[in-house]
Amino acid sequence: MGELFFLPSWPMRVDDLQWLALLLLAAVIAGEAGHRWLGVPRLLGWIAAGVALGPDVAGLIDRDMVADQYWLLEIAIGVVLFELGQRVDLGWLRRNTWLGGASILESGCAFLVIFAVLWLLGAPALVAATAGAIGIATSPAVVLTLARDLRAQGQVTERVLLLTALNSIYAVVLVSMLIAWLHAEYRGGWLVVAAHPIYLIFGSAALGAAFAAALLAALTLLGNRVEAQFLCAVAFVLVAVSLSAALNLSTVLALLAFGTCARAFDRGRRFVSLEFGRLGRILVMLLFALSAAGLELQLIPQGLLAGVALVVARYLGKTLGLLATAGVSGLAPGKAALVSLGLMPMSAVALILVHETSSLFPEFGPALATVVVSALAILEVAGPLAAQLALKRAGETAEQR
Amino acid sequence: MEGLAFKQSAPLTLGVELELQLVNTRDCDLTRAASDLLALTEGTPHAGDIKPEITESMIEVSTSVHSRHEALAAELRGLRDAVLAAADRLNVLVTGGGAHPFQHWSERQIFDKPRFKLLSDLYGYLAKQFTVFGQHIHVGCPDGDDALYLLHALSRYVPHFIALAGSSPYYQGVDTAFDSARLNSVSAFPLSGRAPLLLRWSDFNGYFAHMREMGIVASMKDFYWDIRPKPEYGTIEMRVCDTPLTVDRAAALAAYAQALGRYLLVERVHPLNEDSYLPYGYNRYQACRFGLEGELIDPATRAKRSIGEDILATLEAVAVHARELEGEGGLAALAECVRGPGNDARWMRESYARSRSLPDLVYRQAQRWRGAAR
Repeated sequence: MGELFFLPSWPMRVDDLQWLALLLLAAVIAGEAGHRWLGVPRLLGWIAAGVALGPDVAGLIDRDMVADQYWLLEIAIGVVLFELGQRVDLGWLRRNTWLGGASILESGCAFLVIFAVLWLLGAPALVAATAGAIGIATSPAVVLTLARDLRAQGQVTERVLLLTALNSIYAVVLVSMLIAWLHAEYRGGWLVVAAHPIYLIFGSAALGAAFAAALLAALTLLGNRVEAQFLCAVAFVLVAVSLSAALNLSTVLALLAFGTCARAFDRGRRFVSLEFGRLGRILVMLLFALSAAGLELQLIPQGLLAGVALVVARYLGKTLGLLATAGVSGLAPGKAALVSLGLMPMSAVALILVHETSSLFPEFGPALATVVVSALAILEVAGPLAAQLALKRAGETAEQR
Repeated sequence: MEGLAFKQSAPLTLGVELELQLVNTRDCDLTRAASDLLALTEGTPHAGDIKPEITESMIEVSTSVHSRHEALAAELRGLRDAVLAAADRLNVLVTGGGAHPFQHWSERQIFDKPRFKLLSDLYGYLAKQFTVFGQHIHVGCPDGDDALYLLHALSRYVPHFIALAGSSPYYQGVDTAFDSARLNSVSAFPLSGRAPLLLRWSDFNGYFAHMREMGIVASMKDFYWDIRPKPEYGTIEMRVCDTPLTVDRAAALAAYAQALGRYLLVERVHPLNEDSYLPYGYNRYQACRFGLEGELIDPATRAKRSIGEDILATLEAVAVHARELEGEGGLAALAECVRGPGNDARWMRESYARSRSLPDLVYRQAQRWRGAAR
């Protein structure tokens, strides 16, 4: 009907924004429903919404769309990592040296046990090693969101957050070194083996430190107005994320360094709790929902055994490392076991690392992806539940009001 | 019902209890750390006692019985160091101060002990609001009658202790204009105030028996008076002081209480009657609100002068007793504080004026507590 030009055409044109909005709405509802009726963390509801709307169930959001919105995920991860970096107190590591030891041991043991188990199950050494390196990392988004939602305070909470920040760094460094080794094996350049991780680590740290100094200078100029401070910090995080990607540096390392240095350089303790509040929450919600939608669930049946093996091995390795260093780092063994439970969530960072290695090495990418995605899928549900249990058992959550 | 027996104790011995704040290093807010801290200190040998208090962000240290100021100060320093060693491993800061400048009382968590749960049930929000931190000074008395005399005679000097120890000018993020806002929290409790004017232990026992029969109190602990008798120890307990920002100031205050106690018990200059309590409320308020610049009305002469002046005059009067007790060092420190830099509340306001950041203030308090440079 040409005369009725003002009416919409049929079928309706729906663009990405509407699907994102729908996803957000579904996530909010699912999150609240899960929390109120099942007592599970809200983020499980967000994940469920992502899976439900994703390509494997309702099919409203396809994998291309998730890939298109990858920039959104990166910003969300950047915000999370910045906040986590702020919670790293380098002074604590100095005062309690065995805490650093605990960190290295939990990651080291996790790596070794995962490697051993997967290799015994027949995975190629390289896949086992990379899966081990990826398995070291705990999800910063999950532990930070849980700590916030439960208003957790105490030793177990602080150690889970610190160890998460540290093990995310180890995972990125280790994977980058494995990639460097792969470069040598597959491409034959030994200079790359040495230079790549050095560039990655030091370049990212330098970027983070530079941004921290710049942010503090800007905040000092802006004075005491909280909204201005918040917007300034958001802007800086966005620039840091995009710049680190443009410079081929590690977003994870750069943003963690940014947060840690921002805290360390703030001698006057003037900007102590820069939190992203509601904006951060929306980003984190989308992070969970979109990355859940992007999970290739069809890989799961194939890799289920290996995935379960990875999950169990990871838990055993971390528990071993933490129990061994419990007494000397000033924590009761019971609480050390709870910290290990708190480190179970595995998520966004793993997805990035799989993404990176798969794109660089299509030769063994699929095998790696199968194992990691299966483990990820299990831990998407089990991880947050374990961490919530740990924090509640430690008695560190706010009372029910 | 049998009466309360007042334990025989060596006169003019001292004991000090300090309630300390546990804050996190991230934003210097109060944090939950008492159970973990106690788990660590239980393993290490130290003089005195380290105990939990009603909320998880408080910890209490108490000394053993001392007759000399120097030994008391040394034990306090030892306790301070034991707590700091454990706190450093847990990434927790310890600080003095009568109240935390910006904590929100509703976020506090009650320590898991039956008595504390009971108090929390009975007093509702007051229990969490009672996240204030004080110093209790015990002075030994030879018998119950002397204890009651000393209790009432010391009341005239309560404003001194409030003003000298005042360290809670900020509360819930706001400058309260008080030097000691902490005592306002104490006043909210139904059994706060002062002991009834009874000068014989047998009379006091009668009073206590009545209160117990009526079910109002179960033990002396249920009274929240400014000064209360502690018959189990054979002491009187002065509870008006905010926790000072350094252990040295805490020890000095104890030395002053000891010298004052000797002066009052030996020279018996003050007649005690209801009239001596007429200006009590006014003087006490002036001390809380204005600190050393507050006005004090002498109940005997009705003369008015500033609390600072009254302190200096009293320090003079008790000097000979302080010398006998070897506590002149402590009293000299207090005199210097009155003449010069003022109390901790003044230091806190000056520090905040420079940094304009309350978290920074708490951090500096923690550094001062540790004994690091100003």
